[in-house]
Amino acid sequence: MRDDELILYLYDELTPVERREVESRLRSDPDLASRLDALRREFVDWKNAAQPPAPGDMVQRWHDSIDRAAAGEYAATGEPRGAFSLASFAWGAAVTAALAIGIGIGAWFSNRPAAPPTAATSVAATQPALPEQQGTAFTRGLRVHFRDAQRELSSIPVEAAADRTELVMQLIQQNRLFERAAEEHGSANLARVLRAFEPILLRLASDDIAPEDAEELRKQLAFELRVMLTILERDASNKTQST
Amino acid sequence: MKTQWISTLPILLLALALPATAQDVEMDVDIAGDNLKLVALEALMAAPDEKALPIVIKLLDGDGNEDLKEAALFILSQIDAPEAHAKLLEIAGDAADPLRPDAIRMIGIGGDAESITKLAALYAGGDAATRDAVMEAYLIAGDVDAVYQIALSARDNEEFESAVEMLAAMGARDELRQLRQSTGNSESLIEAYAVAGDAESLLALARDESDVKTQAKAIEALGIVGGDEVDGALLEIYRNTDSDYIRNAALGGMLISGNDENVLQLYRQSNDLAEKRELLRALSAMGSDRLFEVIDETLTGTQ
Repeated sequence: MRDDELILYLYDELTPVERREVESRLRSDPDLASRLDALRREFVDWKNAAQPPAPGDMVQRWHDSIDRAAAGEYAATGEPRGAFSLASFAWGAAVTAALAIGIGIGAWFSNRPAAPPTAATSVAATQPALPEQQGTAFTRGLRVHFRDAQRELSSIPVEAAADRTELVMQLIQQNRLFERAAEEHGSANLARVLRAFEPILLRLASDDIAPEDAEELRKQLAFELRVMLTILERDASNKTQST
Repeated sequence: MKTQWISTLPILLLALALPATAQDVEMDVDIAGDNLKLVALEALMAAPDEKALPIVIKLLDGDGNEDLKEAALFILSQIDAPEAHAKLLEIAGDAADPLRPDAIRMIGIGGDAESITKLAALYAGGDAATRDAVMEAYLIAGDVDAVYQIALSARDNEEFESAVEMLAAMGARDELRQLRQSTGNSESLIEAYAVAGDAESLLALARDESDVKTQAKAIEALGIVGGDEVDGALLEIYRNTDSDYIRNAALGGMLISGNDENVLQLYRQSNDLAEKRELLRALSAMGSDRLFEVIDETLTGTQ
């Protein structure tokens, strides 16, 4: 029996007659059962395979790229306090507002989404598209971000609200940075996905969320991060093959 | 990569199909759990869309658990195909489907313009959870105009405030200014200007003495925006007003912006003991290191 027939059986795509035949053979053919077992082991190995850490020089190049982008924006706007400063992001302002004058925007953000960077669109519209090399650096940097976020998410103390909030706030800042970079790079899909992460992160940062709900959110985000990592790696691989 | 996904596909199929078959062959059911399926779903994105799509739709149409279906919806959002958009809309349009809010979020993530347009009808006829989900989808998709339309046609103040807050979060300064022209000043709009960083609108309100409460609110909100221009304006307002109410608002703005230099300057220039006390309290509330400088000067008699 060929592997693809075995797979069709496992995928429940065989007719009842074919299915009974396979089951009969599985009971009587130890080799066939071993092949199923081999598939299972292959899968478990694949599932447990650790993601190779990003090379240090790659991370450094990305950081350099971010610094150049920040410096470029600073020069363009001439506004030192507003230029690419994470603290000046609208969300930061919203939190400040809620804390300082009690306007209640924090309540909104605790169960609703928050902001894309206020100047991102205009910056994207006025800056030329990144050259190829920088585009590659962007996707590599984003992959590093997704991996870092995955790692940090797995270490977030779900039960300790204060520690969780602090860690998630850091993640939000990083996410903002990459969301903005995605906008500037013209990667609308990535920007939307990064923007979609933020409401989840904000809910996760909320100090009145139940641990089980926090765990659910963490799982959801971890899944979505892994999917995006897979997509980025698929696209990078496709690009490599086509060149 | 093509070979990579081809070699992975059988494993994916295995994982997604296991429940029905595992019992039959009494194989190790350890790999038949939902976690395994989630891993399989993740890896599905390594396959071309045309291969992944039918598997995801089959999963959504099946009797699997909700968490798994939520995950499948995210995969669907990453497939740019009419069938994927249609499936998301189908679930989003079903008021009885528990996955409805998730499907709406995924429409925002997917970014298909036609699907996003159809969210307006869901918002209009939906309950509070649906409306929140649609608003979130608009934010994710960056559809400022859709949120602006909601603010314009808001049925009550709560809905208006929600839309205004969202516009602020989206940094939609132009739309917020237009709302002021059509609906007049409101506390929620002032807060929105602050969150959107619109110092220009706030400065205009802060210098408008026609409504002292609105003026004070705008002055405080300026502190949220911060910046050199705002710092200067707050100092100017503090010095030039005859109203204690407005002066307190200006001090509040400085406190929020964290500009201890200005507060220190005012402290040193003041000859009024009550005012000095207030300014000292403000420095203390700001956690300013300059506080100790002032205390030292006061205790040694140089101030």
